[in-house]
Amino acid sequence: MADSPSLMSYDAAQKLAAKYGIKPIKSQYVASADEAVRFSEGKPIALKGITPKAIHKSRNGLVSLNLYNEKMIRDSFSDLSKKLAKLKPFKILAQRMAASGTEIIIGGKVDPQFGKMLILGLGGIYVEAFRDFALRVCPITGRDAHSMISQLKSRSVVAPDKETERMLEDLLVRASKLFMGSNAAEMDFNPIIIHDAGYDAVDIRIMV
Amino acid sequence: MARKTKSISGVDLTQIIKPRSVAVIGASEKEEKVGHVIMQNYLDVGFQGPIYPINIKAQEKIMGIQAYKSILDVKKPVDLAVIAVPAEAVPHVLEQCGKAKVKGAVIVSGGFEEVGRKDLQDAIKTISKKYRLPFIGPNCLGIMDPRSRNDTLFLPTSKIDRPKIGGVSFVSQSGSVGSSTLDLISGEGFGLAHFISYGNAAVVDEVDILNYLADDPETRVIVFYLEGVQRGKEFIEVVKKVTGKKPIVILKGGETPSGVSAAHSHTAALAGSYEAYKAVFRQFGLTVAEELEELLYYAKVFETQPLSTGNRIAIITNGGGHGVIATDALYRNGLMLPNLSRETEKSLRKAMPKIVNIAMPMDLGGEADAKRYQAALEILENDPNVDGFMVITLFQTPGADESLASAIAKFATGRKKPVVAVSTGSTYTRSHVSIMEASGIPVYESPTAAAKSLSALIEYSRYKEESAK
Repeated sequence: MADSPSLMSYDAAQKLAAKYGIKPIKSQYVASADEAVRFSEGKPIALKGITPKAIHKSRNGLVSLNLYNEKMIRDSFSDLSKKLAKLKPFKILAQRMAASGTEIIIGGKVDPQFGKMLILGLGGIYVEAFRDFALRVCPITGRDAHSMISQLKSRSVVAPDKETERMLEDLLVRASKLFMGSNAAEMDFNPIIIHDAGYDAVDIRIMV
Repeated sequence: MARKTKSISGVDLTQIIKPRSVAVIGASEKEEKVGHVIMQNYLDVGFQGPIYPINIKAQEKIMGIQAYKSILDVKKPVDLAVIAVPAEAVPHVLEQCGKAKVKGAVIVSGGFEEVGRKDLQDAIKTISKKYRLPFIGPNCLGIMDPRSRNDTLFLPTSKIDRPKIGGVSFVSQSGSVGSSTLDLISGEGFGLAHFISYGNAAVVDEVDILNYLADDPETRVIVFYLEGVQRGKEFIEVVKKVTGKKPIVILKGGETPSGVSAAHSHTAALAGSYEAYKAVFRQFGLTVAEELEELLYYAKVFETQPLSTGNRIAIITNGGGHGVIATDALYRNGLMLPNLSRETEKSLRKAMPKIVNIAMPMDLGGEADAKRYQAALEILENDPNVDGFMVITLFQTPGADESLASAIAKFATGRKKPVVAVSTGSTYTRSHVSIMEASGIPVYESPTAAAKSLSALIEYSRYKEESAK
């Protein structure tokens, strides 16, 4: 095994994704509660503790959702800071709240035998419970993307209509290109929230 | 024999699979020796070319054939050396083969990397490279090629049946899975193109073998028992090439648990090594068998039936319950019953007695005989809404006898639409099953096995059509 991979900074990961036309939801690291309040511009936001010590942010209580007023933002910021003190190094990410929809995961890994592979799965808390996912060797074609979606048991939930399906196929091909075009060893877009035939990429993690 | 198939790594397997002359190194008069069994097999199967027994202690003859102390004493061209001497002696023997300009070898001896002797395995790899002498093995059964009667298996012909000649090539990393499955194949209706057991794959590996089979006109279907690949990227390239031409049915042994603890992301935690293999198989059009018996199920449908991308399967039966079970099996495997055309319905109504309900699945009745089956099949065949057939013949019923088996056999021969049969039963049934299988219809014991096999055929047909675009 080579050295253990390191997590690309959220900003760098965002920029890399944007280069391949994958637009993440508006977000920014905040160093203080004041900064978080300014970022919110009066709209609901989420605060997330980012630390290499915990990949399961929600399981570790590092995610506060739907903070729609100043007091909530300040309380949650100080609460998160306390929890994270034990999980250094850490950062706090402020994000606009995504619309509600179906959570999926798109990710990449390097298989020791076959090289870079792309995954699509039902996301969020269901990932490991249902293990409903499709895997392909990169680069994938549009046809591969199509067959990945139809392979899912949850296909009618993930892509309820033709428009969503096309959007998702396009997104998968972009993710494959991103993965092939970068030196990433692992990547997780988790969750991506699918709604109204569009998506919000809420969390991006790229390990290099 | 002019055909030269250079693989990606430049290995030519022609002389190993279809040698014109063979040396058996380790040949012996002693019956318990592997080299004796191999010699005996060459004599039993009637290999046509010269055979040279080699043994360092050789006197005049071994098993009645002029013997030599060393391959270097033969002084005639040798295509294949079958090496069955103790592991420690293999490097020396292989070196001599190199000097004697032998074209290829099968090393059946064990005692190499599989028991921690990487040094010995590295030594024979180096010799192979030095003399450009490719070999299969070590630690393998080697080759059986019924057409050229090349047979390096050290399994006595009295203990394992040799399959008849056909279009299925069976490749196995493992020797025991190979030999037991081979024995089963000889009991099936289809025949064998080549059997290749390649053991430790020190030089010739799965990529080389698939590359040979891709261009091999004798191979129509490849059946593969695989434990792992050594060159993932090349493996993908070669299976793409193969599945564009002919099907590969694969069973992957060694289901590595996924969810490696060292994973840094959800993705890595989900997708372990076994999942990666399965994904590659699916993406590049291989047919995955989950169990050994499925290898045979799929092999026989691919070997005997035409491809079909349509999934509307007509079921006719002489047992109502079997029709119901078969219908469930169809839908569970992504297939469906056809909506018969008006014309078909009319013709069937005319041809069938009143007690037969003209609907899918169609129960012809317990007294249905050869004539009734034949009439129904011929009408259904012309319906454009029917893509294939599952014909259930229960031979326990009064109407079913030898003439029914023959009628089904006759109908299914040379059809453009795939036909599979289902016959559940024992002694009496089995004798009729062999009539049908001998004429090239795959017969299954259960509707589920039949439906799975049709589904595999259709899935591959679709892959092939799509990938040709």
